[in-house]
Amino acid sequence: MAPAPAKLLKIVLIVLIAAGFYLLADCKHADRETLRQATVELTQSCSTKLRGYALHAGESYRSPYMLRTTGDGSALRGYTEEDVRAIQRGCNIVDDTQGQLAAGGPRDRWNASRYSRSTHASCDHCHQDVGDKQDAAGNRLVGSNGLAASWVMADMYDRFTGLLLPYELRQMQCYINSSNGFKPNAAEDLIRDVTAYSRFLAAALDLKIGNRYPEQGMDEIPASATLRRGDDYVRGADVYRHKCAKCHGPQGFGTVVQKRVIYPALAGPESFSLDSRMNFARMNTVMPGFICRNMPLGEEGSLDNQQCRDVAYYISTLPRPAGDRQGPLVAAWQQVMMTVMPPLTRYAEALARHEHTP
Amino acid sequence: MNDEVLGKTGWRDGIVTKPQSSRRLPSALRRQLAAVAAIAGFILWTHFGSGIAAFRFRVSSAPGWQQFRASYRLDDFGADSYFTRAAQNGYNLFYFTDEYGKRFTRKTAKDPIHSCAGCHAVEDLAYSFVNSDRFDVRLGRRVSFEERVMRCYAGSMDGFVPTLYDPAVRDIRILARAVAHHLQLSEGARKGGG
Repeated sequence: MAPAPAKLLKIVLIVLIAAGFYLLADCKHADRETLRQATVELTQSCSTKLRGYALHAGESYRSPYMLRTTGDGSALRGYTEEDVRAIQRGCNIVDDTQGQLAAGGPRDRWNASRYSRSTHASCDHCHQDVGDKQDAAGNRLVGSNGLAASWVMADMYDRFTGLLLPYELRQMQCYINSSNGFKPNAAEDLIRDVTAYSRFLAAALDLKIGNRYPEQGMDEIPASATLRRGDDYVRGADVYRHKCAKCHGPQGFGTVVQKRVIYPALAGPESFSLDSRMNFARMNTVMPGFICRNMPLGEEGSLDNQQCRDVAYYISTLPRPAGDRQGPLVAAWQQVMMTVMPPLTRYAEALARHEHTP
Repeated sequence: MNDEVLGKTGWRDGIVTKPQSSRRLPSALRRQLAAVAAIAGFILWTHFGSGIAAFRFRVSSAPGWQQFRASYRLDDFGADSYFTRAAQNGYNLFYFTDEYGKRFTRKTAKDPIHSCAGCHAVEDLAYSFVNSDRFDVRLGRRVSFEERVMRCYAGSMDGFVPTLYDPAVRDIRILARAVAHHLQLSEGARKGGG
């Protein structure tokens, strides 16, 4: 008689475990639905941005930007309350991916931080001004990595992956490489909200599907755009010391104040991985293009093409996490370098300072 | 002399014979070569003889494609490119769903409506694309363009749901993008501009 109750107990246990998983999933679904319905507390940048574009729920939408710049006030399809909230959440994710500015912490950003090993990573580090960088006159800036321009050109052939790259997949790559993290699902709110925000920007700026706009991507700088003096580590280190170190730190570890990232890390465990397109050693035109157009903050355009390539080269030599392509040996080596190099460099710099002190 | 010795020398009844082992390949090697030949034959058959679309790098040119590509200026994306090929596959799926999307539909040519084009005009597809990812009151949630396509396969086409990444979904989206580009649509554009 003993085996029968034992068997029954096993079955009951399995059913209970399955029911537990079901209840847990149900709670998570309910939690997500609550978050979808909740009023969105906008970050300051998003509040300014979305107010400027007059995002509101209604039958139709007219872009104030278009009225101001071209006088064209064509009525586009309006947004429902749900759509507006999705756009607002998307903007918040771009501005504050880790949820450091959110009252509810990472939960308010769909826990995006669980897809990122870096605690510094945020979309707007590369897609500045919440993915829509403009000058004071409202002109969209060349090579500013605009999200709207990126959306209208999505699904085109991508030379890095060899795919017709959908917008959602491109976002996943950002999580994997630029955030040194993991791939969210394409159908997750996290991805869809950013898509909704990007699409709203495209409506507000009246960008046409499939057209190329100058703010899309980086304004890449190949070696042929320089005097071909070669990309020089020493020159790059010098430029870094004088132009970048005050924000990003002497070793490129970024600036964090009261657990809030003020300037992101360019090296070390919190930075982008070796697989990122920002890594000069992988793609030697992207980072220089970003630097020339967007750095240093407030002095954009002050560096010449060679300086941008030099400093990008220098940054690429700093230790950073390995990507998925490199394998465990390189990953282990990078880990060792990230641990050993900073104190060694500090020591070497201290020695150099001592030698130069009269 | 015994057979063993004869076998080694290859001399029997005045006739010189080569040893058995040097005339024929070892059986293990023969089996391996046969396997390689079978695989090579299968690959050649799939690419050149099978006629199965999944194995061809070129998309079949369905009736009306040349006129369509000229009307909607698909050559803007290259006379031949990944994007153009995907758009062409999208065209095939849209107008000849029963033939090119047969994995995802039970409809046949005998049915009155057997393709996407039976219900939609291709320009409606483009307008639908720029108005997608919006809240659907009936479903009570936001619905993407891809999900609409998937629902069409399952519902109107009386078939099965492809995955989000399947070319049967992706290429319809790319066709919609290509047409939206030709019409120079922006996000939220409404037919007739109203």
